[in-house]
This record gives sequence, structure tokens and C-alpha cells, in this order.
Amino acid sequence: MTFLTVVARGLIRRPVRTGLTLLGISIGIAAVVALVGISRGFESSWASGMKARGTDVVVSNLSSALTPKPFEDKVRERITPLPHVAATCTILVDLMGIESSSMMFVSAREWGGFSWENLKLTAGRMPKDAMEPVVILGRTAAEVLSKKIGDPIQIETRELTVAGIIDGGAIVEDGSVILSLPLLQEITGNQGKINIIDVRVTPGTTEAEVKTLCQEINKVVPEGKAMPAGDNIGNSQAYKFIRAMSWGTSLLAVLVGVLGVMNTMLMTVFERTQEICILLALGWKRSRIVRLILWESALLGFSGGVVGVIIGGIGVKLLEHTPAIRGLLEADLSPQLMLMSVLISLVVGVISGLYPAWRSSRLPPGQALHG
Amino acid sequence: MTSSTPSSASPPSQVVYEAANLKREFDDGKVQALRGVDFSILAGEFVAITGPSGCGKTTLLQILGALIKPSSGSLLYRGNSLADLPDPSEYRAREIGFIFQSFHLLPTYTTLENVQMPMFEMGWSASERRDRAAELLKSVGLGHRLDQFPAKLSGGERQRVAIARSLANGCSVLLADEPTGNLDSENAERVMELLVNLHTDKHMTLVLITHDQGIAGTASRTLRMKDGRVLSDSALTTTLAAS
Ligand SMILES: Nc1ncnc2c1ncn2[C@@H]1O[C@H](COP(=O)(O)OP(=O)(O)OP(=O)(O)O)[C@@H](O)[C@H]1O
Ligand SMILES: [Mg+2]
Repeated sequence: MTFLTVVARGLIRRPVRTGLTLLGISIGIAAVVALVGISRGFESSWASGMKARGTDVVVSNLSSALTPKPFEDKVRERITPLPHVAATCTILVDLMGIESSSMMFVSAREWGGFSWENLKLTAGRMPKDAMEPVVILGRTAAEVLSKKIGDPIQIETRELTVAGIIDGGAIVEDGSVILSLPLLQEITGNQGKINIIDVRVTPGTTEAEVKTLCQEINKVVPEGKAMPAGDNIGNSQAYKFIRAMSWGTSLLAVLVGVLGVMNTMLMTVFERTQEICILLALGWKRSRIVRLILWESALLGFSGGVVGVIIGGIGVKLLEHTPAIRGLLEADLSPQLMLMSVLISLVVGVISGLYPAWRSSRLPPGQALHG
Repeated sequence: MTSSTPSSASPPSQVVYEAANLKREFDDGKVQALRGVDFSILAGEFVAITGPSGCGKTTLLQILGALIKPSSGSLLYRGNSLADLPDPSEYRAREIGFIFQSFHLLPTYTTLENVQMPMFEMGWSASERRDRAAELLKSVGLGHRLDQFPAKLSGGERQRVAIARSLANGCSVLLADEPTGNLDSENAERVMELLVNLHTDKHMTLVLITHDQGIAGTASRTLRMKDGRVLSDSALTTTLAAS
């Protein structure tokens, strides 16, 4: 029997209580994994979407909402004369309810713009001209909406036809309904409005030059903010807010877990008063009693963390496959996030054990040993 | 403090305990459990402490075991004041073994594990702990009960586990508080036989509280207490008679 056996036995002896406490802390950790993973996933989906569109710089205003704020397409005229700008492509992106799906990316691109280039058709064809009433579906979008080539598709009040299905190379592209910009502007009554300008730089432009270009764009385009496509979208206010919210919410859940662990450990100390006194009478140092309680608490935290990561991971995977979310995002369940979650849980366990351990160390050894 | 230093000291170290005017109060002086107790106990003695309920026997034993401190007076263990020990757990871990009336085994650990509990402070390896515990359990006739939980044992068996546990640290002093109080006469006899053997064969110092006059009679010396004082001490009587 090792000291760890003693520790583990302390937890196993009350399986229901230990189990419930474990569940409490693991739900908190699952919330961390799910919420943080999803918000990070959202950010990286955007980033990979930009890359897939073949853009180097993205100009948009993401300060206040999940989709960028619209502005006049004439803004583009201020960008094209700038040095290193090879091409631009105007885009109007929106999250819309499309038939059975309550939220889906609709991405309308300048007819003839370069962001059509990277779309690989897997079936059907591209639109013939700017105003042909057809859409192209990302492959996930096609699955979610269960559409095939030639099917009608309702966008707002207009019925269009599915002309092609593409592999977009990124989750956002695959989950999108893609159509020509003037067509969507007409359907939604947004003539002349866009909310993204993709900018391609001339070959050989250095990273530093791209940064300078962004600064110059920001000077002439107060309507939006220019960002190198590689940069994390998480810099925007809206995403900072989402991230803070997801951390806040999940840490609140963890806090509930902390209270659960602390309560359990205190109960353990109280109900084992006599046992602790016996151990003291047998020569155990107070420091060993403290370690016993802290280890138990830490083990509870650690196991809760592992279970929580598993619950969170499975939960997110299930969520990704629900029709409501499918194609919108891919959660970022990096090993780093999982490791950090388990670590948080372990630290939570130790911290929750501090007060109970302190209480246990103050028990008078003679107290419970009469007779 | 280690077990080797005291025994290697000069003759005065033959005195294991030396108590002078020991007093102990509870509840801010409302209860005076010990009202001035003097005695000394020599190495290898078997001292029985008797007396009516509430006279302070357990209190005295807890002071001897450094579980509580006296309110006043002094108590020396092999020449060192127990009250001044920086770390009484060290003393409990290495010098003494406790046996209680109600056994006080840990219910969620097997007999083998219970006996290993005191050994954690001894710096032995897990296998050393295990082997020694098994050996001790065999020596109290429980070699066949190693993996049993205390709830499945009879009272007599439980107390024998407790005796094995009290010996786990290789102590030289055993403090027993009515070890047969919860046992029928047959089991009591068996337990006492074990304890007496430890005293005679291993020369252990045995301080034992009992209500049983027969058991007190097997001791080499009897302290009779009343109202927090020592009423009579058979060692003094014999010394007086001899002089
Ligand atoms: N922790 C305590 N708080 C208050 N009073 C105590 C405490 N411990 C002991 N006493 C009191 O001190 C007196 C002596 O108690 P002690 O347990 O030493 O008696 P005892 O001789 O062992 O009795 P018994 O034979 O019934 O075990 C009793 O009056 C008891 O109520
Ligand atoms: Mg008593």
C-alpha cells in the first residue's frame, strides 16, 4: 500500500458523493473546453476561410457583430491606387436563415472577382453571368440543405437554382451559399453595399510591406479595418467580447465546481475527524494529514478535468454535427486547450482543498479518542 | 528523538516516564481531570492503572502519549520534557504504540493496511511495510485475515489487529486504554496473553488502564487513581514494605 492508495481509498469510500462532485467539476471543465473551443474555432474558421479565398489583406468592419458591417462599394476606389495592390474583390457576407437551416453563411462575390478562383467544382457548373439566378453551394451546405444540382433554393423572397457544388478548402467556404454580388444586392435591396474587400498584393511583396499597406488602407478607409489574412480575427472587438464571454461563462461554471469540491472535502474532514485523530495518534505528522487532504482534493480535480475534457470534446463534436451549426464552425479542440483545462481543474482541486486541509491540521489529536 | 538514543544512555534513562505534580483541567478549569499526579515508570515495567470512572485515567494516558498537554506540572520521557517537544508526532511515531478500548481501526482499510498506517512516517519502502505488517499480523494469530476489512472481524480479532498496529513502528512503550473492555472473557484472555508476552519476552514497557482486578493482578505494578489523584501505588507499597 502506498500513500496514493490511502489517498484514492479516501475518495472511493464515498462513491456517490465523489461521483457527483466529479460530475460538478467536470461540467465546469466541459464548459471551458466547449465554449473556448468553439469561440477559437470560430476565429480560425474565419481565418482559414480568408486563406481559401486567396486573399492577402481583408478590409472589413467586425467591431460590433458576428458578420461585418456593410459599407459603400465605392470605398474600393480608394484602395486600388495604393502601392502593392494587385487586385481587389468586393464581397457581401451575411448569416441568413435558408430554408431548413436557421443560420448559414451567404457569401456574394463580385462577378469576375478573384475569390471565385479557388472554388473547386465537384458537380454542376459556375454561374453563366452576374445576374443568372443561380447559386453555388459549398459541399457541407449542400448536405445540410439536402440539395443537388438543379434543385430550387429560396433566398429571401427569390427562388434560385443550385447550379454547382464546390469544395472550398475551408469550413466556412464549404458551409456557405455562394452567389454573385449584384444578384444578392438586388435580392436583399442592398444595391451598392458590401462588407468585405479582399485585397491581393503584387507577387514579391514582403510581410512588412503588407503591414504598411494595411496602415495606409486604414488611413484612407475609415469605414473598415485592414488585416493581413494570416492574422487572427480574434483582434476584433466582437471576437474579443465573445472570447471574454466564453471564458467568463466557463470560469463561472468552474467556480461552481470549486465550491462542490470544497464542500466535499470539508465534509470529508468533518466526517473523518476521528480517523484523522487516530492517524495523529499513530504518529502521522500534521503535514501528512494536510497532504492527504490536498492530494485527495487534487485527485478529484484532476479526474474531474479528464472527465470534463472528454465530455466537452464529445459535446462539441455532437454540436458540430447538429443541423443548426453544421458548416458554420469547426471547434478548435487543440491538445493545448485540453491540457490547459485539465491543469485548471487540477489547480482548482488543490485550491479547493486548502481550507479543508487547514481545518484538518487543526484537529486536536486527543479529541476523538476517548475509550 | 530516535529509539536508539534513549536506550544507549546511562542508567537514569532506565526511567521511562517521570511525572511531577501533573495537572490537567478541561473547560477553563470547570473540570479538573488530574489534580496533581506524581509517579515514575521504569523501562520494562507493566503498570496497570485502575480507578473509578471519571477519575482521570484516560486523561493521564493521553498526556503520556503526548496527545494532550498537561495544564501544569512536568512529565519527562527518558529525561526529556514531553511538553517541550517541538514535534510530538515524532515521539508518537517512533517511541510509543497506542491501543484503545474501541479498537479504532480504520474501516475502509484491510487489516494489512491498517497495520501499515503507522509505518508511513518510518521511511520504509512499500514492500518492507507490507512484509512487516504481515509478519506482525501472523504473530498475533491473524495471518489468515490479511485482506479482511475490520467490519468482518470479531472484537477479539480487531483488538489483535490493533495490537499488531501498535507494534508496527517498533516502539518500546505500549499505552493501552482498557484494551479488553469491549471483549468477552475468552477474547480478553487471549489479548492479555499477547500483551503480557510482549512485556515478558520483548521487555516492552506496558502502561494499561483496566477495570478488571484480575488483569490488574497480572501487572508488575498497579496505580490506583481517584478524583484525579493517585490513591496508591503498589511499587511504593512494596518499597515501603521492603525498607
Ligand atoms: N475533552 C474533555 N473535555 C471536558 N472534560 C473532559 C475531557 N476529557 C475528559 N474530561 C473529564 O475529565 C474527567 C476524567 O476523564 P477521563 O476520561 O480521564 O476518565 P477515565 O478515568 O478514563 O474514566 P473511564 O473509566 O470512564 O474511562 C471526567 O470528568 C471527564 O468528564
Ligand atoms: Mg477512560
